[in-house]
Amino acid sequence: MMCAGASAQWLNYPSSGIPHLPDGKPNMSAAAPKTSAGKPDLTGIWEAQDQTYFFDLAAGLKPEDVVMTPWAKAIQKQREERDHVDDPLALCLPHGVPRVNTNGLFPFKIIQTPAVIVILYEQLGLFRQIFMDGRKLGADPNPSWLGYSTGRWDGDTLVVDTSGFNDKTWLDTTKSRPASEELHVQERFRRTNFGNMEVRAMIDDPKAFTKPWTTTTQKMHLLLDTEILEFSCNENEKDIQHRVTK
Amino acid sequence: MKRTFGLCAFLFAAAAQAQWLNYPTPDIPRTADGKLNLSAPAPKTADGKPDLSGVWLTRGGYTVNIAKDLKPGEVAFQPWAEELYKHRLGNEGKEDPQAYCVLSGVPREDVVPYPFKILNSKGEIVIIYEALHSYRQIFMDGRALPKDPNPQWMGYSIGQWEGDTLVVQSSGFVENNWLDNSGHMGTEALRLTERFHRRDWGHIDLQLTIDDPKAYKKPWIVNLQLIASDTELIEYVCDENEKDLKHLVGK
Repeated sequence: MMCAGASAQWLNYPSSGIPHLPDGKPNMSAAAPKTSAGKPDLTGIWEAQDQTYFFDLAAGLKPEDVVMTPWAKAIQKQREERDHVDDPLALCLPHGVPRVNTNGLFPFKIIQTPAVIVILYEQLGLFRQIFMDGRKLGADPNPSWLGYSTGRWDGDTLVVDTSGFNDKTWLDTTKSRPASEELHVQERFRRTNFGNMEVRAMIDDPKAFTKPWTTTTQKMHLLLDTEILEFSCNENEKDIQHRVTK
Repeated sequence: MKRTFGLCAFLFAAAAQAQWLNYPTPDIPRTADGKLNLSAPAPKTADGKPDLSGVWLTRGGYTVNIAKDLKPGEVAFQPWAEELYKHRLGNEGKEDPQAYCVLSGVPREDVVPYPFKILNSKGEIVIIYEALHSYRQIFMDGRALPKDPNPQWMGYSIGQWEGDTLVVQSSGFVENNWLDNSGHMGTEALRLTERFHRRDWGHIDLQLTIDDPKAYKKPWIVNLQLIASDTELIEYVCDENEKDLKHLVGK
């Protein structure tokens, strides 16, 4: 509502390079564009279809697919008992990966260059770098909220491997599943056509889950004729005082 | 206060377990001993324009006072602004928005002691900043600056080439922008011009023109220098393990 009510500047600026239907409307089913190197070009403003995976990253999976270790179960129980007041996101701390992609209320913009792909997220004003230059993930990095990411192409799918997380991130919101420093995430981004992208994320964290598991297909759609807005979490903050546990 | 915080955070970064901080940047000219050849020619993009992409760090000294090289009188405050500036000088940064993890804003991002990375994308240049984990978009597609935008700490930016110089014009700033630690202010009337000239591989001359008639009686100019850095940005999370605010007491 705030966004819609704000004095619009570039929120209504027409996007360029859009394929059109005979009636002049954007053709969201046209073929996905390619870079000059012949790879899919993911550049654009995207948004998750809804908040399904933001609330429950394991949506659509069977209980036996996602089995937590006793360590993880205890942490999840504590978070639920405390009514989720410790969610880092509510304290202006980064979402973690892959949660950062999943909140359908806020768009993100992919900036694709040959050596690095950068994702600019509207929520919290975060960014991630995905290095495409062939470097390897480090063995013992300084733990971080968004991890360290390398990417490669598997056919038309961008495969992003991320590790080097701290043990404070939440994988999702309602379920408040924990992750440890052992977390390795593999995201697969596939732009199926001009207007749509599918994302699946594999979660491999032997401290938190008894076996790796992969999300069902998350749908993302391209947003046209708009822009991402500035998000300053700490500005005029009035929420934290209302965060009370049971 | 901010000085202390900034320095501590910077030292911590240097001591942290390196992940890619020492990874050699690909495709850069090096001298025989493997160091960056800072005086090699500036690279060009496919369309023949100077390529500004890379990791940059501002030559130090302007974090506290962005106008430190200017003569008295060159920063000609309006009376209310002079009063506010004196108040801020006497208040040791207590009201500095950056201390409360609000965005650093532009052009302060040009003088903070943290690296940033410039990227070329379709129709725009993007800058990602280590400081406060933030970013900014500079649109190169010919659009005009918005007339009455929702104010932003980072403003709204458009760029164009004048010969080999990227000229970035920005407006649409918040009313309470700080340009440096000492509290030089920017208001919603600020029109900022940044001129980026990559004179060789290792250096960008960056000239700022601060034109804010609400706060200053005339525009003023700051000349900065950016140095190419063979390193990476690290994650900066202002709200994590925050221990500073209780010490921010002013006078």
